[in-house]
Amino acid sequence: MLRFEKRENVSLKLKILVPIISVLAGLIIGAIAILFAKINPLIAYKSIIIGAFGSKYTFTETLVFATPLILLSVGLILAFKMNFWNIGAYGQFIIGAIFSSYFALFGPPNLPRFLMLTIMALAGLAGGAIWALIPAVLKAYWAVNEVISTLLLNYVALNILKYFMYGPWRDPIGHGFPLSKTFALNAQLPKIIPNSRTNLGLVFGIIAAFIVLFIIKKTKFGYRISVIGGNPNAARYAGINVARNIIIAMLISGALAGLAGMVQISGVIHLLQIDINPYYGYTAIIVAWLSYLNPVVAIFVSILFGALTAGGFQIQMTMQVPFGIISVIESAILFVLIGSGILMHYRISFVKRRA
Amino acid sequence: MVTPSAHIILANLLFAAVRSGTIILYPTIGEIFAERAGIMNVGIEGMMLIGAFFGFVVAYLTKNPYLGFIAGTLAGGLASLIHAFISITLQGNQVVSGLALTIFGGGITNFYGQHFANYQLKTSLKYFAIPWLSKIPIIGKALFNQDVLVYLSYILVIVMWLILYKTKVGIHLRAVGDNAQAANAMGVNVYATRYFWTFFGGLLAGAGGAYLTIGYAPFWLDAMTAGRGWIAVALVIFAMWDPLNAIIGAYLFGSLDALQFQLQAAGTTIPTSLLTMQPYLLTLIVIILATVIVRVRHIGVPKELGIPFSNEEK
Repeated sequence: MLRFEKRENVSLKLKILVPIISVLAGLIIGAIAILFAKINPLIAYKSIIIGAFGSKYTFTETLVFATPLILLSVGLILAFKMNFWNIGAYGQFIIGAIFSSYFALFGPPNLPRFLMLTIMALAGLAGGAIWALIPAVLKAYWAVNEVISTLLLNYVALNILKYFMYGPWRDPIGHGFPLSKTFALNAQLPKIIPNSRTNLGLVFGIIAAFIVLFIIKKTKFGYRISVIGGNPNAARYAGINVARNIIIAMLISGALAGLAGMVQISGVIHLLQIDINPYYGYTAIIVAWLSYLNPVVAIFVSILFGALTAGGFQIQMTMQVPFGIISVIESAILFVLIGSGILMHYRISFVKRRA
Repeated sequence: MVTPSAHIILANLLFAAVRSGTIILYPTIGEIFAERAGIMNVGIEGMMLIGAFFGFVVAYLTKNPYLGFIAGTLAGGLASLIHAFISITLQGNQVVSGLALTIFGGGITNFYGQHFANYQLKTSLKYFAIPWLSKIPIIGKALFNQDVLVYLSYILVIVMWLILYKTKVGIHLRAVGDNAQAANAMGVNVYATRYFWTFFGGLLAGAGGAYLTIGYAPFWLDAMTAGRGWIAVALVIFAMWDPLNAIIGAYLFGSLDALQFQLQAAGTTIPTSLLTMQPYLLTLIVIILATVIVRVRHIGVPKELGIPFSNEEK
C-alpha cells in the first residue's frame, strides 16, 4: 500500500514540476479519449498547436481567448485565497456584459469613445460586483454554502440574459436570432494589434493581475484575506471582521468577472448574445489553481489555456472534433493537479501491507 | 368547486412533477449518504450527464431501457471513483475535485455524444397501475401509476432511511462523517466506508441521469441535465441529510419544473426564460431558509464534511 511521510518544506523544483506533469497527464488522457473516437490524437494535437501558434494571426486569437481568462482567474484568486468558493464567475461575467451593453445599446450614440468605454467598463465592474454581492452577503451573514449559491446564480444570470436576447433587446432586423444590434464604434474597445481581435482588454487583464498581486502581498486587506482563508475562527479571534472582508473581496472578484464580460462584448463580439461562452467561467477556476493562486503566473497560464481554446475551436472546425475534448483535457489536468497536492505535503513510497 | 377538467390538469401536473422529481431524487439520496460519510461530491452534474449519456446509448443499442438504466447507473458509479481516489486516498480538495468531475462529465459526453445528438429511444418504460392506490383522486395517478424506476426510488428512500437510522451500517457511516478518528478507534474502516458511500453516491447520480434520458425525455441532448446536479447538491442541505426529507425537496422542484413546462405548452405570454429561471431561484431561497434552520437547531450536518482523514500520526 501507499505510505505517506510528512514533508517539511516544498522544493521549488516540485512546485514547478507538478503543474507541468499535470498538463502532460491531461494531454495523455485527452489523447486516449481521442483514440476511442477513432481519431489520430497526434494529428488532433498538431492541429491544436497550429490553431494556437501556427501564424501571427492564430497567436493573436490565442491572446483573445486568454484575455477574459486573465480577468476571471485573477478575480477568482482573490476569492479562493479567502477559501470562498466562487463558482459564479460565469454569472458575474454575464451580468457585467448585460450592464455594459445597456450603455452601448441605449446610451447617447455620439458620446466620445473614451467616455463611452469608461462608462461601459464601470457598468461591467458594477454588474459583476452586484451579482457577487448576493452570495457574499448570504455567506457572510447566514453561512449559506457559496458553492451552491454562486452556481445557482449562474443559471439565473443565464436566464436573465436569455430574457433580454429573446425579448426587449433583440435586434428587430436580426432575422429572429437572439442577438442585439451591433455596437457603434464608440462602444468598441480599440485593438492593440492591427488586423486582429486582440484588444485593450488584454492590458486591463495584465494591470488587474498586478493590482491583485499588490493587494495580496502588500496590503493589510490582503493579509486579512489569507488569515480568513487559513482559519476563519482564528481570524475572528484576531479581531478581523470576517463578514466585511468576505464582502469586499467578493465585490472585487465579481467586478473583475463583470469587466471580463464587458471586454468580451465590447472588444471581441461587438454585440450581446446568449452564447458568450459559459466555458470561460469554469476554465478560469482551473487557471487559478494551476497558477498556485498567483495572479501574475495566471497571466501565463491563461495564455496556455487560451491556446488550448483557440486550438479546440480549430479542430472543431477543421476536423469536426467536438469542443468537449478540451474540457476533458482540462478536467484531467485539474484532477492530476489536485491529486498531486499530496506530493507537496508528503513523501510517498510503496510499502508492503502491514499486518 | 373543482371542475373535472381542472381535476385532470392537476393530476397530470402532479404526474409530471413526480417524474421530474425522480431525476433529482436519486442523486440527492446518493449525495446524502456520501456527505454523511464525510465526502462532499459537487460533481453530481457531471456524473448525471455521464449516466444520462451511457444509459441512453445502451438503451438505444440494446432496445432495452432497463439495461440502459443499469449501464447509466454503473457509469455514474465509475466516474465517482475518480473523486473518491482523489479526495480519500490522495486527500485532495473535494470542492475542486468535484468541479473537475463536472467539467469532465460535460466534456466527455459532449465529445462522444455528438454522434447521438437528437437520436430518439424507440422503447419506453411501461406504466404499472397499483390496484386501488392508483384510484386515489388527484395524487393516485401521480404516485401509483408510474414506471418501475419511480417505484424503485420509493423503495430506495425507505430502505436507505432504515439503514441510516436503524442499522449498525448507519451508525458506522454517521460516525465516519462526524468524527473519523473516533470511528477509526472503534474499529470502523474509514477509508473503505468513504469509498463505498462515495461510489454509492455516484451510482445514484448515474441513475438520476439515466432516468432523465430513459424515463423522462427519451433522447440525447448535449448538457441536458441543465443544472439538476447542482440542485441535487442544494437539496441535500434542504433535506438536512435525511432521505425522507429529500422526497419533499425533489418533488417540490419537480412540481415547479412540471408547472413551467405546462405553462409553456399552454402558450403563456410569460417569457420562457423567466419560467426556466424559477426552479433555480426557488432552490436558492429554500437553501437560505434551510441553512438558517440547520444553524439554529444544530441538526443533521456531518461534522467532518469535506475534511480528509489520514490514520498516519500527525
